[in-house]
Amino acid sequence: MRVLVVEDDKETAEYICSSLTALSHTAELVLDGKAGFLTALDNDFDVIVVDRMLPGLDGLSLVKSIRSANVDTPIIFLSALGGLNDRVTGLEAGADDYLVKPFAFSELLARLTALARRPPTQAEQPILEVGDLKIDLLRHGASRNGQTIALQPREFRLLAYLMKNSDRVVTRTMLLEGVWDFHFDPNTNVVETHISRLRNKVDRPFETQLIHTVRGAGYSLHE
Amino acid sequence: MSKAKSPQALRTSTRLSLQFALLYAALSAIVFIGAYWFTYYEVKDWMLDQMLGDAETLITIYERDGAEALVQKVDALGQVSFEDTRVFQLLDHTGKALAGNILDPVLSDVPDFLSAETLGVSFAIFDEVEGYWMRTDAMGPYQLVQGSGDHIIGEVLEALGTALLVGYLCVVVLGLLVGVRVGRLTEQRITQISATLSRVSDGQLNARIASSGPIADDLSWVSAEINAMLDQVKRLLESQEQISNDIAHDMRTPLQRLRQRLETMRENRNLVPEDVEASLEQTDEIIATFNALLRIAQIEAVNKTERFEPTDLEEIIKDVADVFEPIAEDNGMRITTQIPAGPLKIIGDRELLTQLVVNLVENAISHCRLSTQIEMSVSATSATTVLSVSDNGPGIDPAIREQVLQRFFRAESSRNSPGNGLGLALVKAIADIHGAKIEILSNDPGTLFKVGFPTESAQKQDI
Repeated sequence: MRVLVVEDDKETAEYICSSLTALSHTAELVLDGKAGFLTALDNDFDVIVVDRMLPGLDGLSLVKSIRSANVDTPIIFLSALGGLNDRVTGLEAGADDYLVKPFAFSELLARLTALARRPPTQAEQPILEVGDLKIDLLRHGASRNGQTIALQPREFRLLAYLMKNSDRVVTRTMLLEGVWDFHFDPNTNVVETHISRLRNKVDRPFETQLIHTVRGAGYSLHE
Repeated sequence: MSKAKSPQALRTSTRLSLQFALLYAALSAIVFIGAYWFTYYEVKDWMLDQMLGDAETLITIYERDGAEALVQKVDALGQVSFEDTRVFQLLDHTGKALAGNILDPVLSDVPDFLSAETLGVSFAIFDEVEGYWMRTDAMGPYQLVQGSGDHIIGEVLEALGTALLVGYLCVVVLGLLVGVRVGRLTEQRITQISATLSRVSDGQLNARIASSGPIADDLSWVSAEINAMLDQVKRLLESQEQISNDIAHDMRTPLQRLRQRLETMRENRNLVPEDVEASLEQTDEIIATFNALLRIAQIEAVNKTERFEPTDLEEIIKDVADVFEPIAEDNGMRITTQIPAGPLKIIGDRELLTQLVVNLVENAISHCRLSTQIEMSVSATSATTVLSVSDNGPGIDPAIREQVLQRFFRAESSRNSPGNGLGLALVKAIADIHGAKIEILSNDPGTLFKVGFPTESAQKQDI
């Protein structure tokens, strides 16, 4: 991934960049909004990380400017503001995701990977396949090795989300937001329970496990 | 804030009074001019009618009694002369003046109006008579010329003018007096409002503007609005203060533990992965508590109309039940829903309402034992839509029912169950900004939480 990081807090910025570089991604760091705008226009990034509060040009205006310059690179907001409407205003400005500080790097990485541009062919396919697991998004059907798996609608929604993000890590928060539209952290183990239910149907009857737990980060569906 | 007195109020009311006086003067002038012309033409018509009547009488006398009687009658009329306000002259066919109270000059071919000077009338006792309206009538070979003084117009207009002037003076004097009085009162009240605001800005948050009596006017309305605003400001400040106290109270302990752990790790020098993991977990817990506190504060401070829209409680309940059924099952519990037919919409924030329902359900799950049944239901009357979450678990001691909605409150019996003691405080904050009332009742056995929202129509009027 080629990542542009627009962040004025040096410690956070260096933490993000060095962590990305350690995983052999390319990270370019820009410390203020105006430079961020120019860099975003001049280069082709897979994803842009923008801090909400920046000197020069604030994050919200920066994202609006990037969008009105017809650059559609996915953007994720990082913000120390966690106000009720901040996420909504951020998304309305044209960002694709929103992450509140303090965050774990694994959370940011998972979201960046989910956002980074994927090959266009894969995006709108109605049938998704990973190994011998196959789901039909139109008919809401799932099968493995030709054997039909009966899923409740809520289980299908969860599986579909994992399939769309196959080979990537999805975090608990991403599942809460993406599958159940919960923008808060429940106190009970909602995600763990639903994943375990899904595993009982999708993995347990079969030899190979497809839904993997990624320690300290989340889950990943892959062969 | 400036503590300058406000002389503007007095000035405003005095200015208004003066403006009113000027306006009244202008209106009086217009009335006077109108009355002048109206009176002028009316009186003139009346005079001419009277002279016509007199001429007709004299013609009748001439035709009945002859010329001599006419001459005598004209002389008699001239002598009476209506207090010198009427002039008569009878001319024969040669143009010689025969009778009347004016014999010289000879009045043949006179215009409709003659000035007193032209007539040479010196006997008029009314100075006001400036001129005479004239009329000439043929009586056989004779001609009768008569005139009627115009003083009546002057008299009528004088009376009218006096009346208007007296009325005008009364209005101006009264208007100014009332204006000054009202201005004084207004100034006093504005000074009071300003003084109250100064006291508030000096830190006396309890200062309020005193009620000005039973009459509701614009100032008492503004005062009530300011008082309501001060109440709200005070509430928000107290909430902020409470948050700081809560943070001090409940965040220091976990931070202290984290610090101790990090210190131990530094002294041991060999990093044990479990220690690092435990520290991270502790950090996440602190962040979660912090986020929950911030969220409560943000919800309490939010402008409730922002992003509120008609939201279906039935959908929310079904979604939450769908997500939490497996979790309840794993805890050996059951979730059921009871939803009557018909739309159950209220005006609200879908995300927050979802969190409210989730927190109530999670509260039930974390405080109940195996084989508990949790029921979510909605019912609506014309005024309220009630969301209920009930369980048949151990229930809440009536003595602490009110306290469970407070931040960080944890009953003795639940010290060891998970949770940060903020779940129900968040429920209360969300209910509050939706104008909803929470009731905590016994479910015999168990607990029944009732959240009564104003229904959509009732709520719309409110917003």
